[in-house]
Amino acid sequence: MKKKFVAALVCAAMAVGLLAGCGGNKSESSSGGAAAPAESGGTEAADVDYGTGEIKIWVADNIVDFTKDTIATFQKDNPQYAGYKVTVEAVGEGDAAGNMITDVEAGADIFGFAQDQIARLVTAGALEEVAPDNVEAVESENDAGAVAAATVGDTLYAYPLTSDNGYFLYYDKSVVTDPSSLEKIIADCEAAGKNFYMEVNSGWYQTAFFFGTGAELTYETDDTGKFTACNASYASPEGLLALKEITELCGSKSFQNGSAIGEATNVGAIVDGTWDAETAQQVFGDNYACAKLPEFTAADGNNYQMSGFGGFKLLGVKPQSDENKLAVCDAIAAYLSSGDVQLARYEAVKWGPSNLEAQKSDIVKSDAALSALAEQLAFTIPQGQYPGDYWTLATSLGDSVISGELTTGSSDDDLMAALQKFQDTCNSYVGK
Amino acid sequence: MLKNFFSGLGEDIKEIGTTFAEGDIKTRLSFLIFGLGPLLRGQIVKGLAYLAVQIALIWYVIAFGWNYLSKFSTLGTVVTHKENRITVYGDNSFLILLFGLLTIIAFIAFIFIWRENVRENYNEQNLLKEGKELPSNKKVLLSLLDSNFHKTLLALPVTGIFIFTVLPILFMICVAFTNYDKNHQSPTNLFTWVGLENFRQLFKFGSHGFGSTFLAVLGWTMVWAFFATFIDYFLGMAVAVMINKKGIRFKKLWRTILILTIAVPQIVSLLYISKMFATDGLVNGYLMKWGLIKSAIPFWKDPMLARIMIIVINIWIGIPYMMLIATGLLMNIPAELYESAKMDGANSVQMFRHITLPYMLFVTGPFLLTQFTGNLNNFNVIYLLNKGGPQSMRMAENAGRTDLLVTWLYKMTVNDTNYKMAAVIGIMVFLVTAITSLVVYNMLPSVKDEEGFQ
Amino acid sequence: MKRKEQIGNAIIYVVLVLMSIIWLFPFFGLIMQSFRSYDPKVEYGGMVDYIIPHKFSLDNYKFLFSGETNFLRWYGNTLTIAVCVSVFSTLIVLCVSYALSRMRFKGRKLLMRFWLILGMFPGFLTMICLYFLLKTFGLTQAGAVPGLILISVANSGMGYYVCKGYFDTLPRSLDEAALIDGASRARIFLTMVIPLSKPIIIYTALTAFMAPWCDYVFASYVAFGHDASYNVAVALQRWVVTNDYQGYFTRFCAGGILVAVPVTLLFMLLQKYYVEGVTGGAVKG
Repeated sequence: MKKKFVAALVCAAMAVGLLAGCGGNKSESSSGGAAAPAESGGTEAADVDYGTGEIKIWVADNIVDFTKDTIATFQKDNPQYAGYKVTVEAVGEGDAAGNMITDVEAGADIFGFAQDQIARLVTAGALEEVAPDNVEAVESENDAGAVAAATVGDTLYAYPLTSDNGYFLYYDKSVVTDPSSLEKIIADCEAAGKNFYMEVNSGWYQTAFFFGTGAELTYETDDTGKFTACNASYASPEGLLALKEITELCGSKSFQNGSAIGEATNVGAIVDGTWDAETAQQVFGDNYACAKLPEFTAADGNNYQMSGFGGFKLLGVKPQSDENKLAVCDAIAAYLSSGDVQLARYEAVKWGPSNLEAQKSDIVKSDAALSALAEQLAFTIPQGQYPGDYWTLATSLGDSVISGELTTGSSDDDLMAALQKFQDTCNSYVGK
Repeated sequence: MLKNFFSGLGEDIKEIGTTFAEGDIKTRLSFLIFGLGPLLRGQIVKGLAYLAVQIALIWYVIAFGWNYLSKFSTLGTVVTHKENRITVYGDNSFLILLFGLLTIIAFIAFIFIWRENVRENYNEQNLLKEGKELPSNKKVLLSLLDSNFHKTLLALPVTGIFIFTVLPILFMICVAFTNYDKNHQSPTNLFTWVGLENFRQLFKFGSHGFGSTFLAVLGWTMVWAFFATFIDYFLGMAVAVMINKKGIRFKKLWRTILILTIAVPQIVSLLYISKMFATDGLVNGYLMKWGLIKSAIPFWKDPMLARIMIIVINIWIGIPYMMLIATGLLMNIPAELYESAKMDGANSVQMFRHITLPYMLFVTGPFLLTQFTGNLNNFNVIYLLNKGGPQSMRMAENAGRTDLLVTWLYKMTVNDTNYKMAAVIGIMVFLVTAITSLVVYNMLPSVKDEEGFQ
Repeated sequence: MKRKEQIGNAIIYVVLVLMSIIWLFPFFGLIMQSFRSYDPKVEYGGMVDYIIPHKFSLDNYKFLFSGETNFLRWYGNTLTIAVCVSVFSTLIVLCVSYALSRMRFKGRKLLMRFWLILGMFPGFLTMICLYFLLKTFGLTQAGAVPGLILISVANSGMGYYVCKGYFDTLPRSLDEAALIDGASRARIFLTMVIPLSKPIIIYTALTAFMAPWCDYVFASYVAFGHDASYNVAVALQRWVVTNDYQGYFTRFCAGGILVAVPVTLLFMLLQKYYVEGVTGGAVKG
């Protein structure tokens, strides 16, 4: 049932894309650019014999069907690639990087992943550079943040897929009266006996506080994915304010650590991303609403806007030892990340596009969740490269608060000691 | 023990010498070509077997193993590089280590088989000298079903265990002395020997060392194993006594209900229970609805509470198991003992203390030991319930407050691909298990009866 | 005296009833959750903090059988693994136990001691190595099911303790008499010892059969990236712990029930043998 529905959507979207492509010259050249060798090169590409082979693709479970159908269309339109048997497997973005690193050889040829894994993948030799022919198109068609996310050192390593990997606030209109203030949200939730969810033991959500008060944490990498410099200022008055606010939040009886609305119970409000928009609508029903993240009043009496990461999902190609196969992989990856397909993907599963053209389309613009995200993005920093260890370290910091090791009652010295250790450990990842 | 070994070795070498000195041409040629002696003496089956083994080993080393063994000392030097956009893979340190190790074992096996081959010649020659007949080929084959039946029975299991347990363990022990981790990942990157560096890291105290974390995890591992073993043991026994008490009805029903926890796969039951006790889960939900608590109890978030919860939930799993065992054993206690105690006016508590308990402790000593070492490595209960959390800034390498050494090891392997430290931790787990077993084992009363426990 | 006894019994009954409630409660909860509907208008498929569904339905079971996921395939994989492991490892254990219990040969004690020491290394230690070993045989990903069977069976020989303990209790005079009559060891093993060992064979097979249903660690490590080779435990674990599968909680419960029911029934049916094995094993060590 679901499958058929997705398939129909894909076909419809394809048709729209193709029609639009035929109609206007402008969109032909811009949105078709990334997939240029595939679309425009009908005559010349047909001369090249790409041979036969197998290509394995890993994507998140909810776009498996979409990807299968898209590839089928692609191969039908580009018979020169039809010699390759493409299989699509459901491997979540979280697992994909780990599995690729465990055994590159058995890993997928093309795989989707969240950008925080990119440096790790490059170091482990699991990511091939984007084909030189495609670089220009990718860089010009996607938003700057997405391109930066896909770049390690000076090299473009992946094809941007979405630029919706950020978070904002979903809430229940009947519970939360003023979504612009964290204190009020919590007070409303407490009064209504509802839960406020935020995953503060995740390095991704945690930064909403730290970046909000002005603490910094960024890394620089070289072309091989090695970290060359760390700019961290968590052990600072700003960092202290942020950590205090986290202890404050965790002290509330309404607070729950989590960021998946489908796993949450009795939700009043939740900090979550666009991928859960549909679920959030089901959970909140008529009271569904979303907004940018609130401000919070810190211990120094000032108000700070919650910040955080704006992140991206990427599509990577594995290093290959067969030139033809690499060319086919590049063509497929370029196509799967092209504007039309991004738009179709948005329509099928609501993944917000990173393609500038697709972002301008009316349906994307009118999406409530994406609008809230766009509003929030103004306050976030584009997520650069972070070492894999950072994420688990952040979990330790968050858990230290959740488990009551650090509380509102902790002395500044204790809090500072934890932050100092955090910062030192962050610094220690450089050069490894 | 060492002395025995060396004197044994000395005798062996002497025997090899005399075999060669006193040997005929067939025997002497067998020193080079395995099984030639037996073949020439008509022992076709044995001779062919030796020859086949020799050829197989030599073939393995020349055709396959030598290539890896020659790079064993560096674990590879050819780096993976790019030619245009094509990736050309260099040496694979992982395979060099694995197959190099296998080649070394092949060498050892070669020497061992060679020794057996020499001994076989020696025995045959002696038999012939004494004027006796050599066994026929048919008899040799048939002996595999009779006097040598153990060889037939054990051939497959021993091979299986060698390939899938011994070899991997040797491999991982080697890994503990290399820098194999996420930055030195085959096939793209090489890894190499680093000596005792990883062990130094484990015992380094201070902000970036593992020392204090290791001790904390080890401490909790021991505490957990102790409680998990003994609480379950005594409670399980108590439940068994209750159910088996005269006058209690529906014995089978009670037992069946309890046994459910053994029957239902833990992945189902424990994952559900884990969710049940979440801060936003069923239990907290009802407690709050009924007004018993104001804010949710952080069952899995608070380190102390999480530890208690894990031990308590383990009781849920452990009692039925112990109850089954105790039920069987309680039947074996001679009824006269109780009768006479009753005559002396002992009450049931006294009887339990002076008859039941000593008896049970005596018989189940070895069982308790295996339970204890099993609990040291009890992965499922910890990982399914709480994944070893909560983590803490005070612990290194993402260890959590309820992590056992074995769950920590698992996280290092799967999440961080930090194989070198995982290997070190694995060796530590082995040492802890081995030392505990050795110490406790020698204290057990029932061990004195040798055939009872092997 | 009689009265005191009655009070004592009453207390025991109370304790037993309370225990039964505690013991059954999680299963009750599991069953209830599995019958929740999957209609977002009624209630969502995720976790909730109440136990009785708002509406009873078979949505979750329908989902599992609908073919939208590979659930049936995963179930089949697990069943295949469980049956094969059960049969082959029982054979191996019987062979090893007989050799170690009934025969005396050079190196016997050494072998037992060596295996005992091997058993003290944690299993997860060697995961990465086993993965690559299996890979050289082509038994990962697409070949993960036979690969998992191979690993379990190959290492099953070390689990001989209980079975050997049982063999030790069979009177030696049986063998001796048969040997005098000219029977070979193999004949004794096949025609005399095996028929006497029904309880221990069933025990060994049962425990071997149950283990794969819970194996998600190694199974997911060996089969990664190849959906069709997963077993049911891997899938269930993913549904609960991965954010990719939100709202799958009730489906997890339904899947859990489908796994638990046959295994539990089988266990209950063969309970007697299990108890015998466990008790014997405990005394023997």
